Amino acid sequence: MASGEPNAADAPRIVRDVVCGFCGLGCDDLEVAVTGRAIVPRKACAEAARLLARSDAPPPSPRVNGAPASLAEAAAAAAGHLAAARAAVISGLGADLDGLRRLFDIAMAAGASLDHAASAGLFANLERLARRGWIAATLAEVRNRCDLLVIFGEDPTRSYSRLFERALPAARAVDGQSADGIAAPLFAPDGRRVVMIGETFSAAARSALSGHALTEIAVPADQVATAAALLSAALADRDVGAVSGLPEDAVAAIVTLAGEMKAARYGVLCWNAATLPPEDAAAVAGAAAEAVDRLSVTTRAAVFPLGGQDNVTGAHQLALWRFGYPLRTVVGAGMARHVPELYATAAALKDGDLLLHASAFRPTPPPDFAGGPVIALAHPDTVFAREPDVFIPVGTPGVDHAGHVFRMDSVVCLPLSALRPAELPGVAEAASAILSHLGRAA
Amino acid sequence: MRVRITGGRVFDPKNGIIDQVRDVLLEDGRIIADAPPAAGEEVVSAAGCIVLAGGIDLHSHIAGGKVNLGRLLMNEDRALFPEPFGDFCGCGGGRAAPTTHATGCRYSQMGYTAVFEPAVVGANARHAHLEMADIPNIDTGGFLVLGNDDFLLNLIAKGEGQQAINDYVAWMLKASQCCAIKIVNPGGINAFKFNARALDLDEVGPFYGLTPRRILNTLQRAVSELGVPHPIHLHGCNLGVPGNVRTTLATIGASEGFPLHLTHIQFHSYGTEGDRHFSSGAAEIAEAVNANPHISVDVGQIMFGQTVTASADLMSQYRNHGIADPKKWIGMDIEMDAACGVVPFNYRDTSFVNALQWAIGLELFLLIEDPWRVYLTTDHPNGGPFTSYPHLIRLLMDKPFRDDHLGRIHKAARAHTRLAGIAREYTLEEIAVVTRAAPARTLGLKDRGHLGPGARADVVLYEEQADREAMFAAPRMVLKDGKVVVVNGEVVALTEGRTYAVHPPSDPLMDKRLQRWFDEAVGMKSSHYQIADGEIRGGQGPEIVELDP
Repeated sequence: MASGEPNAADAPRIVRDVVCGFCGLGCDDLEVAVTGRAIVPRKACAEAARLLARSDAPPPSPRVNGAPASLAEAAAAAAGHLAAARAAVISGLGADLDGLRRLFDIAMAAGASLDHAASAGLFANLERLARRGWIAATLAEVRNRCDLLVIFGEDPTRSYSRLFERALPAARAVDGQSADGIAAPLFAPDGRRVVMIGETFSAAARSALSGHALTEIAVPADQVATAAALLSAALADRDVGAVSGLPEDAVAAIVTLAGEMKAARYGVLCWNAATLPPEDAAAVAGAAAEAVDRLSVTTRAAVFPLGGQDNVTGAHQLALWRFGYPLRTVVGAGMARHVPELYATAAALKDGDLLLHASAFRPTPPPDFAGGPVIALAHPDTVFAREPDVFIPVGTPGVDHAGHVFRMDSVVCLPLSALRPAELPGVAEAASAILSHLGRAA
Repeated sequence: MRVRITGGRVFDPKNGIIDQVRDVLLEDGRIIADAPPAAGEEVVSAAGCIVLAGGIDLHSHIAGGKVNLGRLLMNEDRALFPEPFGDFCGCGGGRAAPTTHATGCRYSQMGYTAVFEPAVVGANARHAHLEMADIPNIDTGGFLVLGNDDFLLNLIAKGEGQQAINDYVAWMLKASQCCAIKIVNPGGINAFKFNARALDLDEVGPFYGLTPRRILNTLQRAVSELGVPHPIHLHGCNLGVPGNVRTTLATIGASEGFPLHLTHIQFHSYGTEGDRHFSSGAAEIAEAVNANPHISVDVGQIMFGQTVTASADLMSQYRNHGIADPKKWIGMDIEMDAACGVVPFNYRDTSFVNALQWAIGLELFLLIEDPWRVYLTTDHPNGGPFTSYPHLIRLLMDKPFRDDHLGRIHKAARAHTRLAGIAREYTLEEIAVVTRAAPARTLGLKDRGHLGPGARADVVLYEEQADREAMFAAPRMVLKDGKVVVVNGEVVALTEGRTYAVHPPSDPLMDKRLQRWFDEAVGMKSSHYQIADGEIRGGQGPEIVELDP
């Protein structure tokens, strides 16, 4: 993070190259103006701008049963509830790596299941990734190699407004220094084609993709999985007549696309499992991976799944290296059991007797739960439907304190920096305070 | 607080102390010169034990993205091998791809105190370091994978001078906080991104028009001129391909006098003789290693059973994915740096190929004469889990035991190996060299791998037993930085390790160039790619290895 030139005491301080940890795309060139504790975004997408903006107002204090309390008192109350719980559920997991480590420590000390608020798409993809595997590419590989991008489902700019700018820049001469020849795309000299199977391109997407050849294969949302299966079948030279229900012109276009993918140098298949119909997301992931398997016999191709909101990728990675299992795992008493059907948050809450909800990136309230105490380590702006038994407002990673988050491609881990003096504890600090009352020093 | 370890048979080959009963004194985390007994010192009896420095594994895939993908695929292995209950349980487990906590505990329980992750991809280095910080009881370090990175290949292809290469290598080492350079299939991983399926040593790769030989020599020169202690750590071309013994011999010949480390050489020692067109090239490789004192190797012994292979060499892993067992695998092209491929394997002694691989590894261990140039590895988990080291040590030290196992493998494989005719048994001194003194020396860790004054107080007491596997599986005591962490093979304390790095200087102009490269080509800020000292081990910072230019 590079700071701008020094300003007078009350003039805004311009902070450049801010890293964003919200959507998972991992943009790291944002710019904000900071005055005291107030933050005004200057260069950021709409979503990041909304989540980065801060007023100078003093933050709320922790609360126990709705009454103001110190952090120590709130932590002691939370620890008391946790010690009494027999089936604690930890949800949200919206935190940086250090915060997640401490939340996982709480799970180990008190016994609890772990799941992230944005894990539904991840688990749809794991249906394929963990059971069979796939060949994937990271952002910079897509950016430089992809000559044919196939998108299933909705226009990705709705969730990731800068995706195309980052992943698919058009060829251009670099500001008079093109002799170096280092501007992406380095290896897609003949231009790129982008094909959307599902929605049509929004105006924003078209603008971001100017310079590329665009193809739309309009397919209703509930038939995207069928279309993906059709593409996979066409690539395998299987009879596509059996795949029914799709408009005839879509079938013809997908068969044509299969031929183009075989001729492409580095085709990439992309989808956002979180926005596909839940019953179809795993099927799309499977079909995309099958398509890559088939293409890889003669050319190169890769999947590029979209996801990663609020560091869900980091939570997934940490669960793997700590416990050897993905999220939706219960830990405690020296063991870990991974049963996704039982420990997805909604399922776990049916049998749970305590909910600890952590959401530091955005003010997402805890899921509805009436089966026991609710502890919220939450964004200060969180509006609760029901006052939690313990509320500890926490700072946001990349705003109030430094931290690490994973980008959606699961390879790049980015360093977040503090933009302003912290007045709230981070999740790590709040969780450590709870741990100290559980008899386990952080 | 001074600790006196007394009455043990000390094996400290670096200091010329072989099987001498003498005291070892520890104070403030270091070994100190022998001194008369003083009041208040703690005495540890090593009677009946041999005393060694802490074990050092210089090639074991323990941390980072590909290991985590291995964990994702190996859920059955994880369920079969949970960490034991007790005060030092981390709720993890697994044997082929163990969790971080389990990794530290299992290594520590065998008397190891330092382990090096040999394939850190720059773009994934921060992740690898976060995992290493979670591994208790062992010190760690990473080897940075170069030789397929587009920035480097572009520099070489454009004919930029060696100084620019050196500046780039130095910048990358510091940025990734690694302590050595590894090359995986030089140019081959990059070539696979352009759909090339093989790349031999003198074959010209796509796009950049470079041969692996040129990439290798350029990086050898860079490491040598920068003074990075460990020479290029090379995973060569054609891994696993029958006939690759020719490539490996040519690679030894290609090293232009620069020192070179050939890693998991077992996978690169295959001939094509016999009716199955798969044979041992171990004798030729051993002969070449014996004749070339600038070459060192680690073996990458395979051990029978279930494991997972995790490699940056996606070209080779793609070639092998059809024999995945169980039938699943993951590949990834990574961020203009490298790639990875993760493929579960089950090595079977009833398979001709697997049985012969096992024999080839042992032939290499036994035919290469100088133990200072052979390091004990299974290329964990690629040849087998590191927990099999005590068994491997017994195979090396105990000829009847080895012959017994040889008698059980695939019959045709037995006919294709000269193992039965090799009488050599490793001595305790040689075990101390291949697991301690030699890896410390090649990594430039002057205060490790020995028991002289000033060395880190990493000391292991192994109770003398005829069954060397039992002996090396459960030391009587392991001290890490002077603290007792294992007693009778059980973890009794956890301690934080450190992470080694080298920080060679580079021209600030290279920083400017890389800022542009990251902005334009990679699409992220170079400042965010670079890992700050304060990010290592929760603020502890790296332990800097001295350069020797």
